[in-house]
Amino acid sequence: MLSYFITRIAQAIVVVFAMSVIVFVGVFAIGNPIDVMIDPGATQAIREKLIAQYGLDQPLVVQYWTFLRNVFAGDLGTSMVYNIPVVDLVFSRFPATLELVAVSVLIAVGVGIPAGLWAGYRPDSIGAKLVMALSVLGFSVPTFWIGMLLIMGFAVELGWLPSGGRGDEATFLGVSSSLFTPDGWSHVIMPAINLSLFKMGLMIRLTRAGMVEAMGTDYVKFARAQGLPDRQIVFRHILRNISIPIVTVLGLELGSTLAFAVVTESVFNWPGVGKLIIDSILQLDRPVMVSYLIMVVILFVLINLVVDLVYARLDPRVRLKGGA
Amino acid sequence: MTKLSLKSAVAALALMAVAPAVMAADLVVGLRAGPDSIDPHWSTLGSQAEALRHVFDTLVDVDEKLQLKPGLAVSWAAVDDTTWEFKMREGVTFHDGTPFTAEDVKFSIERIPEVTGPMPMTLYTKYVDSVEVVDDYTLRVKTKGMAPSLPNDFTRLFVVPSETGMEAGNEEFNSGEKAIGTGPYTFVSWQPKGDLVLKRNDDYWGGETAWENVTRREIPEDTSRVAALRSGEVDLINYVPASDYLAMKNDGEIDTFVSDSVYILNIAPSVKDEEPQPIKVNGEEVDGNPLQDLRVRKALDLAINRDVLVNVVLEGLGTPANQLMPEGFFGYSPELGKREYDIEQAKELLAEAGYPEGFEIDFTCTNNRVPGDAVVCEALAQMWSRLGLKVNAQALNGTVFFPAAAREEYTMTMSAWGTLTGEAAYTYGALTHTKDAEKGFGNFNRSGYSNPEFDKVFGEGSQTLDPEGRKKLYEQASFIAMEDRALIPTVILQTVWAANADTIDMTPRVDQETRTYAITPVK
Repeated sequence: MLSYFITRIAQAIVVVFAMSVIVFVGVFAIGNPIDVMIDPGATQAIREKLIAQYGLDQPLVVQYWTFLRNVFAGDLGTSMVYNIPVVDLVFSRFPATLELVAVSVLIAVGVGIPAGLWAGYRPDSIGAKLVMALSVLGFSVPTFWIGMLLIMGFAVELGWLPSGGRGDEATFLGVSSSLFTPDGWSHVIMPAINLSLFKMGLMIRLTRAGMVEAMGTDYVKFARAQGLPDRQIVFRHILRNISIPIVTVLGLELGSTLAFAVVTESVFNWPGVGKLIIDSILQLDRPVMVSYLIMVVILFVLINLVVDLVYARLDPRVRLKGGA
Repeated sequence: MTKLSLKSAVAALALMAVAPAVMAADLVVGLRAGPDSIDPHWSTLGSQAEALRHVFDTLVDVDEKLQLKPGLAVSWAAVDDTTWEFKMREGVTFHDGTPFTAEDVKFSIERIPEVTGPMPMTLYTKYVDSVEVVDDYTLRVKTKGMAPSLPNDFTRLFVVPSETGMEAGNEEFNSGEKAIGTGPYTFVSWQPKGDLVLKRNDDYWGGETAWENVTRREIPEDTSRVAALRSGEVDLINYVPASDYLAMKNDGEIDTFVSDSVYILNIAPSVKDEEPQPIKVNGEEVDGNPLQDLRVRKALDLAINRDVLVNVVLEGLGTPANQLMPEGFFGYSPELGKREYDIEQAKELLAEAGYPEGFEIDFTCTNNRVPGDAVVCEALAQMWSRLGLKVNAQALNGTVFFPAAAREEYTMTMSAWGTLTGEAAYTYGALTHTKDAEKGFGNFNRSGYSNPEFDKVFGEGSQTLDPEGRKKLYEQASFIAMEDRALIPTVILQTVWAANADTIDMTPRVDQETRTYAITPVK
């Protein structure tokens, strides 16, 4: 188990390095951020002074080396646009994204898995077919468009929910979150549904496929022959057996949702990190882009690690292999 | 799932306490962009200045048409060739109660080079040599050489109290600790890309403003901003997209406010000896650069139907442009007539220049900097194809476009330029003057245009303190550059604001600023 972890962490470090090089070279290829930011009234002298001040006149290798040295000194850089340390900037926006993602994953799991079980349990019923049709819609219709429809329907036409923003925050047990206020919930519900649709579709399909397959297996037939109630068969035996692919996909989806909730955040003007990174790319805010992407890589690695642990818990065979 | 989302919506509604109705004395504005910092000396960005004006005052102010008017200085005059004297407004206090004096202005000027960021404010103090406080209400600024445009530069000189201290940076301002100005509003809170919350300053020297609490909410996504207005979340939005404008204009529930902006979409043809991207005839690269021939540039100009650009392409949200600044700006040449559309004459000129069959040319522009840039770009390519040219139009994100344009990699480009100071030196000095790092001119001249006659007239203008004389020289310089087709202006863009019907009164500004203290409720 220990050697397994060490390998994983070594892999992770290589990935993070590779990522930082790719991002650095990519951003360097686009060109000088000063040319995107600088005011039209600035003279050549001011421009050159700035380029030197930010070290942008140095060769790529030197710039990368400076960056690495700073990282090892614990400095991930300072945003050129805001002049705030990147770590502070990202973490000031992180709770908002986390809230949104948590609620949307809850919706996706809470609705998707039962619906998928139902669709697999009675695959020929009208309800099951309806569920399947909706799941296709969930991941084939663009998020942006559904988001606009939700806003048009519930915010503009009906006026029930706010069209964007995060709402009031409250502090509970030392944690400040908008999920502790009714106003916060009214703000989060629409973007969370919007963000959950894709994952929900995925959950439904995965669960249904697993369910249909399991229903035909011998152990289910034996269980039935023994006279076990269906409820017990489905929730005790089948669900446990089909949960590995679900957990894997859920883990990966959690990572990508956290990192790239950007479309939903833009449409609903949600003050999360997704919006921050898009703005940073548009302004070529180099320190934010590089550091953020590195943080995302670390996040993915961590999530995968957790997923593996959950595997081991769910399936003893994984544990045995890992220990060997 | 629709059912489910409906149910959850209803559940959320049940959870939600009825939101308190917005009080009449509060204003919530939805804006495309907000500040990057609360430090007024950090960045020259327009959205930065617009937001911080609410908290801080500038030494000199500008009206809706960008004409100078008193700000914290009540008057100014040149005492000799290199000295400007400013008289301060008396009886003004900062939000913390300290009185405002000339010392604060001196401090603010000297603070700028210490704290400014990648969009440097030093360009507004580049002429300043030294600052001298004569008495509490008189300030003298010695300039490096003659600096007739110093009062224009000082329209962006935000004044902070001298107690601020040189070491205070963005952090102290963002937290509100140092966010102390003399402006119409006091700072309450701000988050990067989030809300800027303001409270009325009841002791404001410019008189009381209408709104007790103002929230400036940043909503960059166009459709979301429109939705926020339609759902009543905000009272006013800026930058209404052209696609929504017509519907809003015909909607009785919404008022729209339209104004010319300072932004003009200009075409920049490279006139260097060798064009960066080859121009081809029948697939063969041509000798020399056809764009060096004035007849070719005139042909390009004559083939542009500006009325179509305005009425069809921009849905009416524009005005044909005949020079790089809107009418009425200091240095606008009244001699230049309306640009004509004449495809036949254009073809003749092109044939005369030796290209009867036209040529193939790359044309690059931005697609996200100003509303309409990409559609105008595509429309221009079509108009030129009627002239017989094969135009490879490419609309790029500004993030890609500007660094490459700075490396002068494009043969012909189109981008927006705004004369933010309201006078010609800013625009013609940067765009059409021969590149001259020493004098600080031509820093955005990427087409290689150079005309000694223009440089001479413009140079004289920049060394003339008498406003009338300078104006004449700048007008002449504008005329020369435009007759030369150094750049080809196409359309002046317009800006649209929208609010719920019969709620507010506002005078739209050409600099596109949304000054909430100048907005009043409809009685």
